[in-house]
Amino acid sequence: MKKLLIILMFALVPLSLLAQSALAAGGPPTDILKGVITEVNEADRTIVFQKHENKEFMTLTLGADMKPEEMRMNKKVLISLDKNAGENVMKDVSIMFMDMTASKLLALLVIGLIGGLLSGFIGSGGAFVMTPAMMSLGVPGAVAVASNMCHKFPKAMIGAYKRWKYGQADIKLGLVMATTAVLGVQIGIMIQKSILNSFGNAGSNLYVSTIFMIVLVFVGGYVFYDAWKLAKGDGKETVSKLAVRMQKIQLAPMMHFKTAKVTISAWITIPVGLFTGMLAATIAVGGFIGVPGMIYVIGASAVVASATELIIAFVMGAWGSVQWGLSGLIDIRLSLLLLATSLIGVQLGALGTTYVKDYIIKVVMATTMLIVAVSRGAKIPGYLADLDLMTPMSDPIHALLESVSFWALVTALGSAGLIITVAMVKGMSADRDAKKALAGVNHG
Amino acid sequence: MSITTFDKNMSAVAFAEAGEHDTARRILGENAKKQYGKAPAPAAKSKPYLKTIIFGTISLSAYYMLFTNEKLVTDTFTMGGWHWIYPVGAAFFFSFTHGAFASNLLSTLGIEAKK
Repeated sequence: MKKLLIILMFALVPLSLLAQSALAAGGPPTDILKGVITEVNEADRTIVFQKHENKEFMTLTLGADMKPEEMRMNKKVLISLDKNAGENVMKDVSIMFMDMTASKLLALLVIGLIGGLLSGFIGSGGAFVMTPAMMSLGVPGAVAVASNMCHKFPKAMIGAYKRWKYGQADIKLGLVMATTAVLGVQIGIMIQKSILNSFGNAGSNLYVSTIFMIVLVFVGGYVFYDAWKLAKGDGKETVSKLAVRMQKIQLAPMMHFKTAKVTISAWITIPVGLFTGMLAATIAVGGFIGVPGMIYVIGASAVVASATELIIAFVMGAWGSVQWGLSGLIDIRLSLLLLATSLIGVQLGALGTTYVKDYIIKVVMATTMLIVAVSRGAKIPGYLADLDLMTPMSDPIHALLESVSFWALVTALGSAGLIITVAMVKGMSADRDAKKALAGVNHG
Repeated sequence: MSITTFDKNMSAVAFAEAGEHDTARRILGENAKKQYGKAPAPAAKSKPYLKTIIFGTISLSAYYMLFTNEKLVTDTFTMGGWHWIYPVGAAFFFSFTHGAFASNLLSTLGIEAKK
């Protein structure tokens, strides 16, 4: 039976690799040109553009709302084409590598540190704030997603290694989940593409935000309720009733996960993995379903689930980075600046888990999920208006919702960082006191 | 039933008071052996200063090299195709060197996982 499983697992990897150009957060876009603008003709609103890949020159027409004076020459740019407007008509242009200033550098380092802390502690998190944060620093969307991906997998790798050393990560569970999650990503992208084709960009945005909201509110709410119950009781975690029932299903092949201390049918782990991947493709944070799934459906403890999620994040992130690297969209400066502090943060978060009670992990996870849900929810009216399902909002309300959305993300990150730090410091000083007391007994 | 350090110390005291110094010493000796490396108050472990400095220097010079050759790096790393090796390789390289630095830095600062 074991052999069968290993064969199954290894068969899934190439299978999923065959389904090409797919990865968490949507896949590299294909209608984007990369290169340098060499000439701008203001009179006939065209530019001469040299493509990066084959150094060919081509003439592009400016889109209706683009201004010739906004075109920056001799800098590498990303140009997206508007296929509906005609042949070689531009939709927008953005400078591929933003100029690094001291404040941007500092911002990246701070985001990296807190994102890393969160990752090390709850197994995921960071992506939901890093990509928008980079975009607000002026990084084109595709480059932001790619650079985040390339910083995520080394971070997850180091975090997973640390937590494996603490005896928390279940490698087998991680690999099984990752393989199925990779397949889930393909399904997620297929759904995304069909929505994009039939309802356009606004429809796709609405779909993403709605899924985001539903998952975060329901799952986050449940995790919060569970953590609250634990905090009120003795803090001892019990396996959920659902997981107990799932573990009773004796459907071959059965799998045993040593670190998670779970024996369960593969038919239960596969859907959990698939959903994790689908969610990763939809909202870029698969961990928000992967970790609760491992806790409440499979029956792992919060510590093991969050540690195992890092293995999944590593596999998916590494694979995604290769895809984005193939289309040459990774700004390595951004990835490495985020890594500079997030590698410290992730190890700090990982060792923090050894000092806190299990339910603290759930508290942090639930708090983050619920506040991020607010951030996404604030964007929904805008998308509804785009789809003509709602009367358009006035500009001040639009601006207000945008800032609510942004500050909710900052709050999510800030509050999670604060809870982790406080819990960790408390745990450490309690540990030190206990050791001192013991030493006192020995010497006295 | 397990015998705690406290119990052992107390029995050593009892033997010592009764004049059985050798027995007392033996009990304490065993105690020390068994508790080796797991003593409640371990002798101050030497901190990995040297490792922190070495990995810190490697990592810092790598960052310095990257940012002084910014244009060259960003251009080569974004060529696409097989050039994906560059960003992914760089990410691996930094995660090992800078990760090792971060790990040693935390140990030097006295922040370690609970045993």
